[in-house]
Amino acid sequence: MEFLGLSLALFGAALAAALAGIGSAIGIGIAGGAAAGVMTEDPNKFGSCLILQALPGTQGIYGLLIAFFVLNKLGLLGGAGAVALNWNQGLQILASCLPIAVVGWYSAIWQGKTSAASIQMISKKPEAMGKAIILPAMVETYAVLALLTSILMLMGVQVG
Amino acid sequence: MSYVYTVARLRGMENHILDSAFFSRLMDSAGIDEAVKALGETSYSQWISGANFDKAIDSEILATCEELKTFVPDRELLDIFRLPYDFHNVKVLLKGLFKVRGGESEGRRYDLLSKLGTIDSDELTTAIETEEYGFLPYGLTDLIPQCWQLWDQTKNAQAVELLIDHQMFRAMLKLAEGLNMPDITQWVREKIDAENLRSAIRLARMKYEPAKALAFFHEGGTIRPDDMAKLLSEPQETWSRLLSYKDIGRVLSALQDSGDMKVALSEVSKSLDDYLIQVLEKAKYSMDDPANVLLYLLTKEAEARNVRVALVCVAGGLDREFGRRLLSNGR
Repeated sequence: MEFLGLSLALFGAALAAALAGIGSAIGIGIAGGAAAGVMTEDPNKFGSCLILQALPGTQGIYGLLIAFFVLNKLGLLGGAGAVALNWNQGLQILASCLPIAVVGWYSAIWQGKTSAASIQMISKKPEAMGKAIILPAMVETYAVLALLTSILMLMGVQVG
Repeated sequence: MSYVYTVARLRGMENHILDSAFFSRLMDSAGIDEAVKALGETSYSQWISGANFDKAIDSEILATCEELKTFVPDRELLDIFRLPYDFHNVKVLLKGLFKVRGGESEGRRYDLLSKLGTIDSDELTTAIETEEYGFLPYGLTDLIPQCWQLWDQTKNAQAVELLIDHQMFRAMLKLAEGLNMPDITQWVREKIDAENLRSAIRLARMKYEPAKALAFFHEGGTIRPDDMAKLLSEPQETWSRLLSYKDIGRVLSALQDSGDMKVALSEVSKSLDDYLIQVLEKAKYSMDDPANVLLYLLTKEAEARNVRVALVCVAGGLDREFGRRLLSNGR
């Protein structure tokens, strides 16, 4: 039971980085499929397609950010040694990681789909690039909210 | 290959579909040379050589099908579009052989065969002429002997044609149901309705009785053949109202509004083609709906039809306003 708290906290960090990263990979894959289709017909749209394809990648970054935050809180970065955690504190850190893990995973997939639709839109109306970015960016809002929730929750957990 | 890629690529290809402004310009051409020059700026230019425009137009659609074959995940979607051309070829070959059997040595019309079918037209010709039907798909193995039997009994080419059409729609529906895509199945059923309505209009002009006309209607549509046949006992002006419970009913409003039946018939025929495109148009709002493949092909076919109408009008010096009315609203 000595390391249960630490294990739970690390499990939370792993979930945040892994689930949000998987979601981003899927989202970027979906948008990439659309980008490849459009660029087969018009290679000049590479720049616009790349921006839209990259949008679902942010959730993976948010997940990584939370994982670093947790590792820092646990004292695992910088070589100072891990802080002592009881299982209750570990569970609190795990719970703090869940918003970005779950919302990041799911929102990245849907953002990928919206980006794919936007890529199809600019294939017909290149002048609508601004609008095409705003639509998938709306999905991003909820990933940002989840990121904030995870950060605020983590800041509230007392360790050491 | 996913449908996200497929649909995105189709969106790119849609940019090359000829629009109404181009057809207006084509219609305004002073002569065929000017029209051909205008077409020279389009993808049709690579196929135009000499005066055989039909072959050029078919080549363009064939090239489109071949291109789509390389990236559409379900080949059956293309087959649904191409299947009518297979059955057209079967009709051409059988009618030719009927004439040959009847003593007309020049009965065969290979020039009417389309390259757009899924079965190579040369292979189909060999199969039918050598009576080796075993490898033929879409129920043709059983259908062709039945056609011969019917011909021997009745010598009625129209009855044979009807038998072939019945099988064509059965095969289309089977292909669509096999795809497990409800929108595609619905489209095939609407196509059957559209074909039945065309038949109903023709039969009404010939003053057919409902009971006798029943055999002309195909099974599988959203409107039962019985109900189609019942239309014949009603004045054509009321058909639109009688079918108002179906979306396709509004297509018949031309019969109600126009005093000139000839004009009304061409309007309805054009509207039915447009309607079959509209049925699939909701797919435009999806980034990965497979129905977009069929929608693109139908739009391309409408474009080809418009090119044909425009060229015939310009080459034949026909009334341009009448020609404009015949143009489909493909894009």
